[in-house]
Amino acid sequence: MSALETMGAPVLHLVREIRDLFAMLARTVVLSIRGRRDRRTIVEQAYQMGNRSVFFVSVTMGFIGTIMVFQAGLQALKIVPELSMLGATFAELLVRDLAASIGAMMLATRVGAGIAAEIGSMVVTEQVDAMRMCAADPIEYLVVPRFLASVLMTFCLLIWAAVVAFGAGMVTANVVFEVNYATFANFSMVDAGDVIVGLTKMLAYGAAIPIVSARCGLTTFGGSEGVGWATTNAVVQSSLAVIVLNFVISSVGFLLFPG
Amino acid sequence: MSAGEDEQREEPFYLGVPTRIGASLLHLSGELGGMIVLAARLLRRLVPPRVDRDELVKNLHKTGVRSVGIVSVTAIFVGAIMVIQAAPLVMRFNAKEIVGWGAGFATLREVGPLLIALMFSGRVGANNTAELGTMVVTDQIDALRALAIDPLAYLILPRVISMVVMLFLLTIVGDAVAIVGAIGAAKVLLDVDPRSFISSLTVLLDEWDLATGLIKSVAFGVMIALTSCHFGLSVKGGAPGVGRAVNAAVVAAASGIFVLDYFSTYLLG
Repeated sequence: MSALETMGAPVLHLVREIRDLFAMLARTVVLSIRGRRDRRTIVEQAYQMGNRSVFFVSVTMGFIGTIMVFQAGLQALKIVPELSMLGATFAELLVRDLAASIGAMMLATRVGAGIAAEIGSMVVTEQVDAMRMCAADPIEYLVVPRFLASVLMTFCLLIWAAVVAFGAGMVTANVVFEVNYATFANFSMVDAGDVIVGLTKMLAYGAAIPIVSARCGLTTFGGSEGVGWATTNAVVQSSLAVIVLNFVISSVGFLLFPG
Repeated sequence: MSAGEDEQREEPFYLGVPTRIGASLLHLSGELGGMIVLAARLLRRLVPPRVDRDELVKNLHKTGVRSVGIVSVTAIFVGAIMVIQAAPLVMRFNAKEIVGWGAGFATLREVGPLLIALMFSGRVGANNTAELGTMVVTDQIDALRALAIDPLAYLILPRVISMVVMLFLLTIVGDAVAIVGAIGAAKVLLDVDPRSFISSLTVLLDEWDLATGLIKSVAFGVMIALTSCHFGLSVKGGAPGVGRAVNAAVVAAASGIFVLDYFSTYLLG
């Protein structure tokens, strides 16, 4: 019986966690439509998440674009001795997956850690309990502004990430493999399916990161050490959420738009 | 503090952007220098090895064994996602025989080590920074010094060694799990026979592709260990300082991993 228990306990825990996350997502969405929307907090959060992540996202996505084109170039030269399709395949991969997923992994570390640390220290210093005493819903006051700001800013940042990565890839292809800029900037392989899948991913990640991190923040216990744990958990779980969502959306996208 | 603010206010507006760029560059080189000094000090303690064995074993367990779950989950999805990414191309050219090679090449060489290192940094690196930071804030490091125990040999070196060793081993585990995930996805989505998947993987891929990923993982491990220890040890300003340090360490480790990935791709390509 005990072996069964040790196997079943994590599964039950996981199921409960996922159910709670979806419940929180549902409440946040309902409250962002029907509840009060504090415009000033939303703008401030959008600035914290968006504007202050632009540099970080640009640097990492620039490197990713360079690495990917370099790798793909070497890989392609092994099979066919010409690189005219390098830009087209890179653009498709970027729109369909890379820009959204790698960019979102980066944002999960920055935005997720920030949200969890902020809400976690409010929980530890009993500010959230004080809010509940005043009949103010923490989800309405803390989570909804972050959720709206994150959905908006993640979407914009990830489109910017795609632009930066493509630009970096274009320069790399020109410098390393002597591919023309005009030849590289070839979007013939990007079709509607790729764009739909890519934009869906961006929206899904933008919604998932604040919900997962805010839940880590709200369930903080045990003083400043607990805040550290909440931050770590937020980074790990929101990265994991990005990977799992990527898998789900990619598979559904492949089944809906094959080829 | 107020003097500094006054100086900033008197500055002509057109100097604002260069000043900020210069300040962030100075900040960056300060942190980099701190990490290099820490690395040099740790290397000196390695020459006749002065490592606390009990601490080392404890840390190996904490960083490695307890990360197997998260690394495996990451890896299985990474392998599956790589197959899904290759799928449209495979369908277009009807090249089912090389899907094993395509997915294996990207996973083993590039994406696997990268994403596993990012997860490791989020889980182990951030936790390490928080722990060391709390110790600094509560003066426990000074207490060690007062007891004539070298904090670097007793506290830091075991952590650094176990992070580097364990990320290397976890990448091997992750590579294996990712291949399993890729085989599963190829069977379900593309109906590729597992046997032909493995044969295209083993025939077209050489040892060097696997070795590249593993060499990278060692470099990533050094990067994560140094950033997390450096930011943890330089915490200032109580509990909020610990939070800031954790955030800074995670961001620095992630950017460092990307920069290292860039250079190692060129050097090993």
